[in-house]
Amino acid sequence: MYAVAKVDTEKCTGCKLCILTCPDPNVFTFYKEVKKVAVNENRCKGCGLCAAACPKEALAVVSV
Amino acid sequence: MNKSLFKISPGFEDIMPAEYRELVEHGPYEKGFGVSDLGTFKELIEEHPLCAGCGLALSLRMILASLPKPEDTIIVGSTGCSSIAFPQVALHNIHSLFGNQNALASGLKRALKLRFPDKIKDVVVIAGDGATADIGLDMVMQSWFRRENITTIMLDNEAYANTGGQESGMSPQGTILNMAPTGKKFPKISLPEIAREAGCAYAAAVSPAHPKRLEKAVRRAILLAREIGPTYIQVFSPCPTNYKFKPHETIARIKQREKDGTFSIKEYISPEAQEWLAQIEEVKK
Repeated sequence: MYAVAKVDTEKCTGCKLCILTCPDPNVFTFYKEVKKVAVNENRCKGCGLCAAACPKEALAVVSV
Repeated sequence: MNKSLFKISPGFEDIMPAEYRELVEHGPYEKGFGVSDLGTFKELIEEHPLCAGCGLALSLRMILASLPKPEDTIIVGSTGCSSIAFPQVALHNIHSLFGNQNALASGLKRALKLRFPDKIKDVVVIAGDGATADIGLDMVMQSWFRRENITTIMLDNEAYANTGGQESGMSPQGTILNMAPTGKKFPKISLPEIAREAGCAYAAAVSPAHPKRLEKAVRRAILLAREIGPTYIQVFSPCPTNYKFKPHETIARIKQREKDGTFSIKEYISPEAQEWLAQIEEVKK
């Protein structure tokens, strides 16, 4: 079973706290124009540090 | 580093790996990016084999993002968890014998000074707590006594993590690990104070829970190592695998330890270094 983080784009405010807590490189991409983050699911290890850090509860770790 | 090494020869664009192309097009070389720009550029480290929720991987990612001049930085590593991530780092890096990293870095820095007298090449040692504080303490201390112009960064995960969990000199008292079932009998020693007394111009203890603070410490350490003398940074990076906590609790664990008083952010700057930093800040204004 694999687990990855998913972003709820409606709740995301682009505070970038998830980017600063993720131990894996190049998982999160920040889009300046819309102030949202996106997850590269192929690189995510599903540790859940981003979900624990998110103040808006926009991130959740789900099994795939 | 010759920057043209990182260009793709015409006609080979389509057969180069996607990661390499991304690094050439969106890499941080010569752009002066920092920690706050993470997520907008291709990072210097690529998919590494370290565990999910690894504090050391997070610290390493932050350190690589805060290097002031990544294209002119040479990293010297040593055996440990960090060494299995270095093959995925897009910088010149050298794997030394276990504990030998500061001796190697001293020679490397001297050779680079002779070879490139008009250029600044930063030599940064990034090693674990076993290599820095236990096995290589002799070489580390001697490089500080000789006032070599190198930066030493210790990724402190408080155990020998990739050999199954033996206690290290940096494990707190009473720690029970897989291969240390009776618990550690003596307390953890604070190395930043030892570094300050041993002749370091700058010594700091930081953690990835405060990325801005970590970035500032790394930049100061590397800039002071160019001009004044040796510098030392200790980065606290908890290990979820050996300390048996859930991977999403790494940052919470650092904050918990800060509350307990068993870990605190420290910074020591020598008077000479302080003067130099004040000058730099004046020029900036």
